[in-house]
Amino acid sequence: MRYMVMLSMRSDVGPPPQALMEAMGVAMGEAFAGGLMIDAGGLMPMSDSTALTIRSGALSRVDGPFAEAKEVVGGYAVLEVRSHEEAVEGARRMMQVHLDHWPGWEGSAEVRRIGEPEAGPPPS
Amino acid sequence: MTPTPEAATDRAVVAVWQLESARVVSGLLRMTRDLALAEDLAQDALVAALETWPRDGVPANPGAWLMTVAKRRAVDTFRRAERHRQQVERLGHELTEESMDELVDHVDHVEDDVLRLMFLTCHPALTPESRAALTLRLVGGLTVEEIARGFLVKDTAVGQRISRAKRTLAESGAVLEMPVGAERTARLDDVMAVIYLVYNEGYAATSGEAWMRTDLCLEALRLARMLVALAPSDAEVHGLQALLELQASRFHARTSSSGEPVLLEDQDRARWDHLLVRRGLAALSRAESVAASTGQPVGVYTVQAAIAACHARARRAEDTDWARIAALYDLLSSAGDNPAVEVNRAVAHGRAHGSDAGLAVLDSVEPVGHLWHAVRGDLLSRAGRRTDAAAAFRTAASLTRNDAERSLLLHRATSG
Repeated sequence: MRYMVMLSMRSDVGPPPQALMEAMGVAMGEAFAGGLMIDAGGLMPMSDSTALTIRSGALSRVDGPFAEAKEVVGGYAVLEVRSHEEAVEGARRMMQVHLDHWPGWEGSAEVRRIGEPEAGPPPS
Repeated sequence: MTPTPEAATDRAVVAVWQLESARVVSGLLRMTRDLALAEDLAQDALVAALETWPRDGVPANPGAWLMTVAKRRAVDTFRRAERHRQQVERLGHELTEESMDELVDHVDHVEDDVLRLMFLTCHPALTPESRAALTLRLVGGLTVEEIARGFLVKDTAVGQRISRAKRTLAESGAVLEMPVGAERTARLDDVMAVIYLVYNEGYAATSGEAWMRTDLCLEALRLARMLVALAPSDAEVHGLQALLELQASRFHARTSSSGEPVLLEDQDRARWDHLLVRRGLAALSRAESVAASTGQPVGVYTVQAAIAACHARARRAEDTDWARIAALYDLLSSAGDNPAVEVNRAVAHGRAHGSDAGLAVLDSVEPVGHLWHAVRGDLLSRAGRRTDAAAAFRTAASLTRNDAERSLLLHRATSG
């Protein structure tokens, strides 16, 4: 089973402290070494992003920076796991590192299974 | 059985324990030098976690928590043994709580501990099946039921296999060791062979049971990834990882929606898992650069991975670099006597240099197995020799035990 973990945080959260970077490096190294994590990445600030939307049958484009400081996805990891619980634990470890090494940080991790052919079509 | 909330928490605890199992068992093994005892103590730690975590939540560092509990149990066990026998020296080495703290806190050694455990579970004194079962149990942290499901055998059979293996290890005097030089190479080969066996057990499965067998492949893939982290300066372990990542990348394209096997050249390449392709190609390039920088010979897994990479790099089947594949099979052929390699070498030479070149390779080896005849049929068919081709496909069909494959071969016998 493959899961994507999306880590969300306020878009104005600013650069992470050095301690977090180091601890995340160690935690991710372990997750890759154990074969649990197979891909991961951090997303660049919202100011560099573009949103395409379809509303009322019209496609529109808005470039950053965006005015409101909302919670946005700041990083992701792809996990190859035996069970949903294993994916949750993989995500919990990433959150624990944030709790321990980024004082005041708030955010959430969404643990979502990635659709696979044998699991049938993605749910609507 | 209806899942209760308790069962859901238990599953969460077991998932965490499985992730930590190899480290916990191998750390305990270093302390106790006794595989059965180490496994029992690890199980005790799991039981303690099942009692505590649902109430108090998963600890911030579950691995350290499990290790501390298991260590405490180990000390208790040794104290009991000491009281009963008043001769703790007999245990091989005296253990005090202080020395055990030292042993446990040597985090640098964790990788070596797990690698030593792998050397032990893949020990030459054991049969290949026992090595596979013991490795999945102690390194992978799988339950006996999970292993039995993967190998399509009864739980009791796996349980017996594992206890017999532990007895054999104890009787043969196998010890926890970190061999060096040629011995290390040989023992790493054994570990890789076990991982490859587990992988093939899943990969060779028929489509009907595919869902559970895929699990076995992924378990092998995970072990291969672990091994790379444990022995990164050994080129061939990167080659094994590359091979398994690349083969696994074709999983979903290997069977049609109706469950029929789909040949590599007919596969929809958009259905390949391109994340695994990328990881496989990266592992192959690591294998090649480690081999080049250390002067290690290029091993058979690396060569097979290089072949798989030729397919992975071709966007369409007709773009395949068959000349390179033929050369790689020549290399593989020179490494040992393997009928399956010769058959594939014939295919590659047929594609690269014409049907006659392929038939010449086939004729140079004994006609063993249905694949030899199937490939002969294919080469003859491409050479326009329809009647001979049909006869070869029929012979191949009569030799295969796989229903789906038989109907594919019979279809080719009639359609040319």
